[in-house]
Amino acid sequence: MITNDIFGALQLMVVGMLTVFCILLIVIGLGTLLIKLVNKYAPEEVTSQKPVAAAQSAVQQVDATVKAVIDAVVAQITGGKGHTEKITKL
Amino acid sequence: MEEIFNNLYQMTAFSDIVASNGTYIIMYLLAFVLLYLGIVKHFEPLLLIPIAFGVLIANFPGGDMGVYQADETGRIVDASGKVLAENIWDMSLPAIAHDLGLMNFLYYMLIKTGFLPPVIFMGVGALTDFGPMLRNLRLSIFGAAAQLGIFAVLLVAVGSGFFNIKEAASLGIIGGADGPTAIFTTIKLAPHLLAPIAIAAYSYMALVPVIIPLVVKLTCSEKELRINMKEQDKLFPPTNKMKNEKVIKIIFPIAVTTIVALLVPTAVSLIGMLMFGNLLKEIGSDTSRLFDTISNSIMNTATVFLGLCVGATMTVQAFLNWTTIGIVIGGFFAFGLSIASGIFMVKITNLFSKKKINPLIGATGLSAVPMASRVCNEISTKYDPKNHVLNYCMSSNVSGVIGSAVAAGVLISFLQNITL
Repeated sequence: MITNDIFGALQLMVVGMLTVFCILLIVIGLGTLLIKLVNKYAPEEVTSQKPVAAAQSAVQQVDATVKAVIDAVVAQITGGKGHTEKITKL
Repeated sequence: MEEIFNNLYQMTAFSDIVASNGTYIIMYLLAFVLLYLGIVKHFEPLLLIPIAFGVLIANFPGGDMGVYQADETGRIVDASGKVLAENIWDMSLPAIAHDLGLMNFLYYMLIKTGFLPPVIFMGVGALTDFGPMLRNLRLSIFGAAAQLGIFAVLLVAVGSGFFNIKEAASLGIIGGADGPTAIFTTIKLAPHLLAPIAIAAYSYMALVPVIIPLVVKLTCSEKELRINMKEQDKLFPPTNKMKNEKVIKIIFPIAVTTIVALLVPTAVSLIGMLMFGNLLKEIGSDTSRLFDTISNSIMNTATVFLGLCVGATMTVQAFLNWTTIGIVIGGFFAFGLSIASGIFMVKITNLFSKKKINPLIGATGLSAVPMASRVCNEISTKYDPKNHVLNYCMSSNVSGVIGSAVAAGVLISFLQNITL
């Protein structure tokens, strides 16, 4: 009875270890394939542009107000002949 | 007057405790030691404290909080030989609660049905990050090598003649260092050994900070432990760099579940739930409510009931016997062998590879995520403060969870239907 059980246990050991190795090798292969496919067909992470756009529009709003003030100042000083080309924050 | 005092004495638990020749005292001491380890030493407190308290409340005579184990025909007999149920499988849950008490109701509803271990696996999946594994895929193979302890102890336990093959398989699975997997396998193969196997599995997991350094000290040289993985990566850069990690992490759990389900269907209850939990995490905001529920509410509820029920199976009758001592010793060897086999697999790989690998990465091939990786990182930084191996260890550590679940699936599929 014990001899049979030992034989069964040995069989289980071989089959079990082979199965675990095979499954993890398949998982490794699958992961590698997945990385290659995704790198080839979907390499960029899709990130939401909305917050950036919102932030940009907020900056633009502030800039528009500041630009209007600067334009008025430039027009006043140059007698309406000059115009603003570039505004740089110092 | 004397009669009144005598009746009062008989009413309390003292009469049975005194008559038990100290066996109950041993169980209380065991509960206090486990509580001490959980509360003071912070060894897996989320698990050890419910288990320890379950042990404590299960061992008060007359309290009806201990779990009775049914034999193969469903018959339940108490310590005095009195038949409590002819066939528990014919009893309704309210009848179990009424006749056998609250803890038996919880045990037969949640544990014996195999319900809680996969639920916990779902929570574990939600808390697992496969990123380090995907970044170091080749290291994942050490998660397979570290399952050798399971099968080696199975062989030795059968050879000893103390355990039949189903009991030996349940004992060996302790080497997987994964509590839910050990419980799930034992429920399927040797439910009468659930108490000592669960306790041994969780105790050894809690003792990972002691056992891994011991095995590493016995098997590794200082030169090997100083192998710096980042320097090796600079010398031999990895070929597969992920450009879109989010998409890969979403597809990965779906693909792994499909492959494992096709090859080892008996492992699906564990792997499937693990990957489902992980998928909910990786999808992100669309499933964030589900992720939050499974990783907090469900996981915590399952852990409380699992811990209490497992603790409550440790009654005097079920625990204080030679089988339990055999399980405690065998479990330790299964654990140690799993760590050592992972280390030796790394050593063999280093013989044939130019890119050297720190053997600590093999030591984390058994599950016990993430404690095993943290312990190994501490060991490596002790030898070289700049040598952080945590991310590399997590690769084999996470693959060890898959490996032990697959090993459990193999054991269950081969042994579940054999008659002894």
